Amino acid sequence: MKHVWFLAWQSLRFNRLQSAILIIGLAVPLYLPLTVNGLVSRYQAGLLQRAVTTPLVAGGLGSRFDLVLHALYFRGSVPRLLRMADVEAMRATGYAAPIPLYVRYTARHAPIIGTTLDYFTFRHLRLARGEQLLELGDCVLGAEAAASLGLAPGDRLMTDPENVFDIAGSYPVKLRVMGVLEATGTPDDRAVFVDLKTTWLIGGLAHGHTDVTSTNTDASVVLERGASNVTANAALVEFTEVTPTNITSFHFHGEPADFPVSAVIPVPKDEKSATLLRGRYQGPEATVQILAARSVVEELLGLVFRIKRFFDANAALVGVATALFLVLVVLLSLRLRRPEMETLFRVGCARGLMARLMAAELAAIGAVSLALAVAGAAVTIALVSLW
Amino acid sequence: MITIEQLTFHYRDSTFALRVPRLLVADGERVALVGPSGSGKTTLLHLIAGILLPDQGTIRVGETEPARLSDAGRRAFRIATLGLVFQDFQLLECLDVLENILLPYRINPALKLTDGVRQHAVQLARETGLEPRLRHRPGRLSQGEKQRTALCRALITAPRYVLADEPTGNLDPAAKQRALDVLFDQCARGQTSLLMVTHDLSLLGRFDQSIDLAEVSR
Amino acid sequence: MVNRWMLSVLLLALAGCRPAANDSYLSKPHRCRIYTTSYPLFYIAQRLAEDRADVLFPAPSNEDPAFWRPSRDIVRQYQQADLILVNGAAFEKWVDTTSLPMKTLVDTAAPFKDQWLMFAEVITHSHGPHGAHSHGNIDFNTWLDPMLALRQAEAVETALQELSVRPEAELRQRAQQLRRDFEALDRQLREISQGLAGRPLLASHPVYGYLARQYHWDLHSVHWEPDEPVTAAQWSAFDALRAQHRANLMLWEDEPLPEVRAELEKRGVRPLVFLTCGNRPSAGDYLQAMNRNLDVLRAAVK
Repeated sequence: MKHVWFLAWQSLRFNRLQSAILIIGLAVPLYLPLTVNGLVSRYQAGLLQRAVTTPLVAGGLGSRFDLVLHALYFRGSVPRLLRMADVEAMRATGYAAPIPLYVRYTARHAPIIGTTLDYFTFRHLRLARGEQLLELGDCVLGAEAAASLGLAPGDRLMTDPENVFDIAGSYPVKLRVMGVLEATGTPDDRAVFVDLKTTWLIGGLAHGHTDVTSTNTDASVVLERGASNVTANAALVEFTEVTPTNITSFHFHGEPADFPVSAVIPVPKDEKSATLLRGRYQGPEATVQILAARSVVEELLGLVFRIKRFFDANAALVGVATALFLVLVVLLSLRLRRPEMETLFRVGCARGLMARLMAAELAAIGAVSLALAVAGAAVTIALVSLW
Repeated sequence: MITIEQLTFHYRDSTFALRVPRLLVADGERVALVGPSGSGKTTLLHLIAGILLPDQGTIRVGETEPARLSDAGRRAFRIATLGLVFQDFQLLECLDVLENILLPYRINPALKLTDGVRQHAVQLARETGLEPRLRHRPGRLSQGEKQRTALCRALITAPRYVLADEPTGNLDPAAKQRALDVLFDQCARGQTSLLMVTHDLSLLGRFDQSIDLAEVSR
Repeated sequence: MVNRWMLSVLLLALAGCRPAANDSYLSKPHRCRIYTTSYPLFYIAQRLAEDRADVLFPAPSNEDPAFWRPSRDIVRQYQQADLILVNGAAFEKWVDTTSLPMKTLVDTAAPFKDQWLMFAEVITHSHGPHGAHSHGNIDFNTWLDPMLALRQAEAVETALQELSVRPEAELRQRAQQLRRDFEALDRQLREISQGLAGRPLLASHPVYGYLARQYHWDLHSVHWEPDEPVTAAQWSAFDALRAQHRANLMLWEDEPLPEVRAELEKRGVRPLVFLTCGNRPSAGDYLQAMNRNLDVLRAAVK
């Protein structure tokens, strides 16, 4: 066979242009389905991996897809908010340790994830630089967020106003970057993590200002001072940044049990506890839904990637057309090379040599096309993943 | 020796018919095969080579009757025993001179390509003045060089018989002579029998025997 | 004998609490670190965990833990603790502005949230769209009521059980012992309250609300500090208050200034030091300090 390969290689090398056209003509119809399938598989695996590592997700009643997308991938909003009382109630069952999430605000368009230190343990997030959250107003950045925002520990990051037209609404808060996390290849990389209490601060449920009840208060900020109440005027400045000197002035208003949470990740003690917990919230009177994240994501992927069948069908049709053209090329090539075949026959070539020669040339072209298609797909997938 | 007796052959769907009652080519003999166009000269060469099979009669090449061999047997016999030279050279454009000469060793497992064979090919090329062109493809060769390459290809297996079908038909007079010189010289060295179809009657003097196929077939 | 000793050592060496969730990958025995935010909780945790865990209360003894703010290093230590016991009921202000893991934090007053008291008089302030609001109007001195302290101890016991600090039977035994001590305080307070027979009481600060509620004291408070002199206006207000409630006894968190004591006694009011024990007492432990409080009150009531 080595002589056959030698002759095939010589023929392909001599007919460079035709060989290149054939290789590219075969590589493109191979590249497209490889790339699409590769990207789809990668995204599916990535999405599923996130769901596999998050056994349960809890939230308000409504669309389970919205809830799972929100809790796992920090996308979109939830159908209904929960209260901290719901989180405490879940904890009180003893079946799981709930990790609350409040994802509502952004900082330079990066999502702000309000949560507790338990989230970092749960997701095995490690610090690449700096320190962990310590106080109100601190933030820790995901690897991508830090890179894209150009921030490092010690820098400041302003939150985005929720409504640029509501100038009387809550003011943006200047966060203090404490640390940057190691890259994980998950949505956590793009997030700005703050303590849950900091998101309540951003939302206006807490604030800090000078003590107007004290008799030493600057009179220009006091509108009226009564025996049991002091009314401040609009000149009273609420701090937009938590600092070591003003942190003690920050306080919350309202009942903490009523403070909002957009989703909860219950971390059950074991399988039995997980089942018992889900059972606890399955009744017509339940106001909280607990979902198995993996099932929901699999269902979602099934729906979304149903469209992939069209791509597959298209790829199959293109494949058939390519195969037909390839057959045509082979037939034409055979016709063109008939004198060559005749020569070889007359000289005394072995039976089937020409067929083997054609097969070797096609195999070589096919192999190079496939290699090109695979390499192209791999590069494309890698670039898209980076992007 | 090539022995033909009571040979008849005709092409399907054709009125052409070839009839050779008797023909002999002795070992080492140089025989010219002449005759008008359409008399069956090329057909006779193909019959001797086993490329075509006779309707009747026997063709014996040495101890072998090609018609009695299987298709694979005929191919192996042809490549090992015969050297074929064609009018239009029929070199492979994608191979250089050396590889064209070595072609028989690459297309049939009956022959083994060894270092000795490669050296023989280089020697043949040197003897035929092709050594400077060994790495050139046919597209860069003159007609004479192409024909000499074809001759070397036919001779590389040291065949006992060379069947040449108007090998100088496309050459100018000078190249013609040179090609013939090479052919005769190589055949003489190897004591190779030569059966050559030619239209050039001026060359007949260089052959041991001339056979007019039209006369033989009558 | 040697074998039994070696077995005991082995068991002791192997005994240890379950590591904190954030160190769950540890396989070797781990001595739990329990951080508290108030002295009473420190005392309770010590009584229950003692030699099996490191119980820490980092607030300096000369600071009020309710208004203490730990340094960054100490906050990090709290974050790394296997268990954080907080009083709750808005006691430790610093927790509201600090990041602590939810899983290891136990709010010991949360189980009886419906029984929290609000300070009767508090100055509110209003600004912006939120209207009138105040800062810190919850009475956080829950531990002064032995029955509420017992509820807090139960929360600590449950948390220690989760951590497997010591065998369950041992833990239960210690908890029962602690329960007896709190119940003894309760019995004493009931006896003393009977002796009061509805007589009004005064207090330098509104920190005895839970005692007053539990034991039906007719208690009225002012806002005086033990280490600050009393102004004339404050005396006027005090006299007006006393005109309505003819109390002869006044509870103080700490010894008042001599001139204040003298002035009170001139008015026929006897100041009694009743330590709140929010931080370490200068002598003894929580139980001893409370018993001393009750001795003082009992003697005054007779």
